[in-house]
Amino acid sequence: MAEIIPLTPGETSAPQEPFKPGACKLHPQTMCPAFGALRVLARIEGAQPAMVTDTGCLYGLTFVTHFYAARKSIVAPALGTAELSGGKVQEAANAAIAEAAREQHVSVIPVISLCVAETAGLAEELLPTEVDGKPVVLVRVPAYAIHSHPEAKDIALAAVLRRFVDRQSDHEPGALVLVGEVFPADPLLIDGVLRKMGARVLTTLPGRHVDELRLAGRAAAVAALHPLYRETVHVLRERGIGVVTGAPIGAAGSAAWLRAVGAALDLDEEVVERVAAEEEETARAFLVAQPLKGATILVSGYEGNEMLYARLLIEGGAHVPYVSTSIGQSALTAADEAWLKAHGTEAVIYRKAIEDDQAAMQHWSFDLVIGTTTLAAYAKERGIPSVYYTNILSVRPLFLAGGMIASLGFVRELLNRRPLYERMVEFFTADGAE
Amino acid sequence: MSIQLIRDISDTSSFWGASWVFGCFPDLHIVCDAPIGCYNLLGMAVTDYTDALPQMANLTPTAIREEDVINGTAGALVRTIDDLRSLGSLEGKRLLVISTAESEMISADHTRLVAQIDPQARFFWSRSLEQDEWTGRDRALLFAWEEYGRPFVAPGAAPKAPNLVNIIGPSLGCFNAPADLYEVRRLIEGIGGVVNLVYPYEGSVASTPRLADAAVNVVLYREFGAPLAEALGRPSLFAPFGVFGTTAFLRDLGRLIGADPAQVEAFIAREKRTTLQPVWDLWRGPQSDWFTTVDCAIVAGRSYVEGLTALLGDELGMKIAWTSGRPRRPDEPDNIEIRRRIHAKAPAFVFGSINEKIYLAEANARATHYIPATFPGPVVRRTTGTPFMGFAGAANIMQELVNRFYDMVFNFLPVEQVQAPAAPGGPPRATAAGPPAPPSAETMPWTKEATERLNAALEQVPYLARISASRSLRLAAEQAARARGAPEVTVDLVEAAIAHGG
Repeated sequence: MAEIIPLTPGETSAPQEPFKPGACKLHPQTMCPAFGALRVLARIEGAQPAMVTDTGCLYGLTFVTHFYAARKSIVAPALGTAELSGGKVQEAANAAIAEAAREQHVSVIPVISLCVAETAGLAEELLPTEVDGKPVVLVRVPAYAIHSHPEAKDIALAAVLRRFVDRQSDHEPGALVLVGEVFPADPLLIDGVLRKMGARVLTTLPGRHVDELRLAGRAAAVAALHPLYRETVHVLRERGIGVVTGAPIGAAGSAAWLRAVGAALDLDEEVVERVAAEEEETARAFLVAQPLKGATILVSGYEGNEMLYARLLIEGGAHVPYVSTSIGQSALTAADEAWLKAHGTEAVIYRKAIEDDQAAMQHWSFDLVIGTTTLAAYAKERGIPSVYYTNILSVRPLFLAGGMIASLGFVRELLNRRPLYERMVEFFTADGAE
Repeated sequence: MSIQLIRDISDTSSFWGASWVFGCFPDLHIVCDAPIGCYNLLGMAVTDYTDALPQMANLTPTAIREEDVINGTAGALVRTIDDLRSLGSLEGKRLLVISTAESEMISADHTRLVAQIDPQARFFWSRSLEQDEWTGRDRALLFAWEEYGRPFVAPGAAPKAPNLVNIIGPSLGCFNAPADLYEVRRLIEGIGGVVNLVYPYEGSVASTPRLADAAVNVVLYREFGAPLAEALGRPSLFAPFGVFGTTAFLRDLGRLIGADPAQVEAFIAREKRTTLQPVWDLWRGPQSDWFTTVDCAIVAGRSYVEGLTALLGDELGMKIAWTSGRPRRPDEPDNIEIRRRIHAKAPAFVFGSINEKIYLAEANARATHYIPATFPGPVVRRTTGTPFMGFAGAANIMQELVNRFYDMVFNFLPVEQVQAPAAPGGPPRATAAGPPAPPSAETMPWTKEATERLNAALEQVPYLARISASRSLRLAAEQAARARGAPEVTVDLVEAAIAHGG
């Protein structure tokens, strides 16, 4: 690996004043919350979503669903003033459900109730629970009551899980359910390590099949890899399934997580200890090089997994003074937040607005910004190497030693691209062009 | 009252349409009285895919919360405006507050409140629960003229010059607007016209009164913009499509701006030898024969539907299987019907949105070429090189289709793949042990029913792809018959081959 160019010297980039978040939170950074529900539900094979909402909402949400979730046709009733104020919402929802039920190979009909339908009132007890044997599940996701799209993923997943989870079978010893939208290779990597400890990954949620929801009920423990799945974890806990928080991230995090999984699954302590130590050793061997030493990095994302990413960067030698997320603070975020605060992170902002991130950009001098689309654009305009958070996170493994090596190698490459960013900015902003 | 169903909505609401118009003005700041989702989808997500803008910089939400739904949104609005002021975001800008479906749902009319906060500011009731994006755009254009334009124009003022022309319509969320605008501007200037204002794309609150300076208005789209042209009270023309439509447009515009007819004819003559030369060359060549052998469907804005129908159907002789324009007329298929038609029989070319693209994918209609022609759907059309309108549009569309024909031909030709393809004719059967039988040189006998089924299946395949489809279906069915040791190809084997995609 090439020698890193000294970036902003650590000493001079450290500001004297404590950081203050944005005074005004004008532009919250989250996709429409309801999108999270569609992302999870539209991807289930055989799911035929019926959306109950106005046309503008329908346009925006189907647009992003067709881009990010599934190439799936979506039905809705036309809801205008006449229907909304004339008490027709119920009838309208039923009409859409009936149309959805006419499709072939229907596994579930999620009824997605959005702002105007929720304001007008949609009674669950007046909806069918199934049509021709096809299950109907109501999912309420008004944007005004849910504050981020990741949290709507949780609401949607919990809703279908509640309907389908296997409540009869015995728990399978050593079987772990992973919860979180992760890179497809990650569950395989985790499974490989768990098998060395006498355990296995039973399934990963949210998934593509109703069967996976059923299967989750047979697990002995659940690991919430992303800290937003509060309701989902609650449903499994009610079924008597143990909960592991955090994720196998970096050197310290991977070992600690494996030990927690070992305890939750009641595995042989000695074996667990040996496997955890092995993982830690592989990771530490890589970290000796401290590939990110000297770099100051901003991490701003949506789903709470940015805290995991920040941990990785810090272990790789980076200074990550500021981390922001769209989700709210909860018991599932506590451990990562504490770890970050103990390792040089000065501010962890929940439910952030772009104004918070911009205040951080004023306060510190960053060598790399891993951020939301708006923030990444803002940083690029200033010639700072920057990438859209999801673009870099969703395309490579993240967990355990292997994920760490893949992720840090990529970040290291990004840091070297500063001249490219500066050249572009210089060209486009010369002569008052910007 | 019966409930109407929507499948994969095509036209968004008036809130979106109006915001896409007002959003063009750099000296205006829009506060939308909306939950976070309406703001994000419009201002940060979708407009990035339709217009390739990282975000709409002059849009801020009141971010309606649960308590605002109960108590009203006035508090949230006042807080938002105060914050914008404290950040200096409103300096040198006019403020416009716009309602959304949710704020209308709770009857949050802020006309008086907005006037109290700032006499220069305005409230726009978008009627988002009733009206579509086209009406929303029209009402926004008229609102801008009434509020920011007409009051500052002397009544009865004459145009500043007879050859000044406005182009009305191009705004955010308009498919391919930069390329069409570039071509229409080129045509206007080609015959001696001078473009006065491109509105709202290149307009502002401050420049709005200048709409009155022009002698003629060219309205880019039939789906909206005409009401503003009418309010301006000058002669107007719709932007043209096709070789003959564009020629007629140039002559009409020449008369309206008082151009010398000789100059107009000289421009048309020059265009024949330059921009239109590829149309003449391709038309004389073998390529144009293909146009009359295939069919197409067009789902797009009203202008594109009429323009492509004229160019492809009337001028080049292609069969137009069906069309559906926006806003949709009652006699045109809605998406439920469009989906049914595409599943039943997909034309060789489908111009449309991501909806049609999804229906083609559902039908596994691989022989059909999809060409983006409207939103919704993520597609970047920001260069000037992809017009549908004008002479350049005719040449561009013809060139594009010819290249698609070349692609089809390429896909017919035999290829020997590095990795042997999976055995055709369905998944391997438990009874057929060993590797699949190699294709035989011997012709297999076919039952009458099997041949009829094959022919019926081929009827559903676009003409140009039939040779290829017939060969692969035939091979698949025959190989399956041999693998099974059957003496002849029967209808069930053909069915299996069709189900397996030939």
